[in-house]
Amino acid sequence: MGLIQVATNTVSGTSTNAIDLVGTTTDDVYMVAITNASTTSDGQIRTRVLVSSSADTSSEYDQASKALIANASFGNDALTNQNHWRFMFTGNQSYETQSAIFYLYNFNSSSEYSFVTNEVAGWTNTPRLYGLQGGGVQTEAQSCNGIQFYASSGNLSDGSQFTLFKVVS
Amino acid sequence: MSEFGYIPEAPEQSFGNNKGIFKPKDIYDLTRADKYTNYGQLELIETKTGSGVSAIDFTAIKETEYNVHLLTINDFNVTTDGQPTGIRLSNGSFISSGYQWANQTGRAGGSFAENRSTSSTYLEIGRLNGNTTNEKLNGYVYFYNLGDSSKYSFLTHQTTYTNEFSAEYMMSFGSGVRPTADTVSGIRLTSTSGNITVTSASLYGIKEYS
Repeated sequence: MGLIQVATNTVSGTSTNAIDLVGTTTDDVYMVAITNASTTSDGQIRTRVLVSSSADTSSEYDQASKALIANASFGNDALTNQNHWRFMFTGNQSYETQSAIFYLYNFNSSSEYSFVTNEVAGWTNTPRLYGLQGGGVQTEAQSCNGIQFYASSGNLSDGSQFTLFKVVS
Repeated sequence: MSEFGYIPEAPEQSFGNNKGIFKPKDIYDLTRADKYTNYGQLELIETKTGSGVSAIDFTAIKETEYNVHLLTINDFNVTTDGQPTGIRLSNGSFISSGYQWANQTGRAGGSFAENRSTSSTYLEIGRLNGNTTNEKLNGYVYFYNLGDSSKYSFLTHQTTYTNEFSAEYMMSFGSGVRPTADTVSGIRLTSTSGNITVTSASLYGIKEYS
């Protein structure tokens, strides 16, 4: 497996609510690496597909993940017909950051749903280790040219880093 | 002619600003000097093997170059039945306390379990490992923030293996953290008792460019 960087964005300052990673323009599998991601207010970093570089806000996002918690029973995080995916639960303190790998499937295809797998390790505002592993689907057959990450409350924190790679053989 | 051999000598080469005609050796030399534009790579840092050893240590992980590391593990086996597969991190010396992890495991016999710790001596990525020929663990681990002295170090993993109970199939996925902000400069693959044998363990860095 090889990786070719397609797009990257490191948030500078505290006035950015959303970042777009554009470039899922072939039928390859894509990967997103996230480090040091957090928000200026306690909440979530949410995710949407980009269609013609605009976030798709339709209620067509389904997901199912296992919530992996170091100091409590695990949970099932399952949602249907949302207008976003939610894979990262954030805090606004220095050490409350999220790290993750996402794989993106079928984003470029106009005749297939777009799928994603997520593996997240985060330190939440409780604070505690909170991981989330599973996947999701956006249930409209459409060509998506990228992915967006945005803060559900406040903005993305300074230093949050998101990088999109194409997976190549 | 430049120090890298390309013609003409000027302009000076740098990442994101290469000009001229390059021979393969020019590209090789410029890449090694981090002056050849090649966006994003999965770069092999080191591959190690071990037979009957207490641990496999990666001590030159290039933590200042990568935000994300990937460790692949091929055929991990323990000498003492029932021991876990564990990771320890080094900040100059390998650390044996203060880890937290939360893993979901499942067995082909139908038993699933939530395994977790808030005060572990290692980061677990597998458990109930076996010591016979066909009891082997395979999988991968992603590490995050190892080189950032101001952030906690995280990992996520997925492993697939045959455990100590007559090579029953088992899987594990989960997350872990060392909730101490410092620079991690080493990764240890080990267990808690006895020795380990590993056909290969490869550490990669995921290169990112701003």
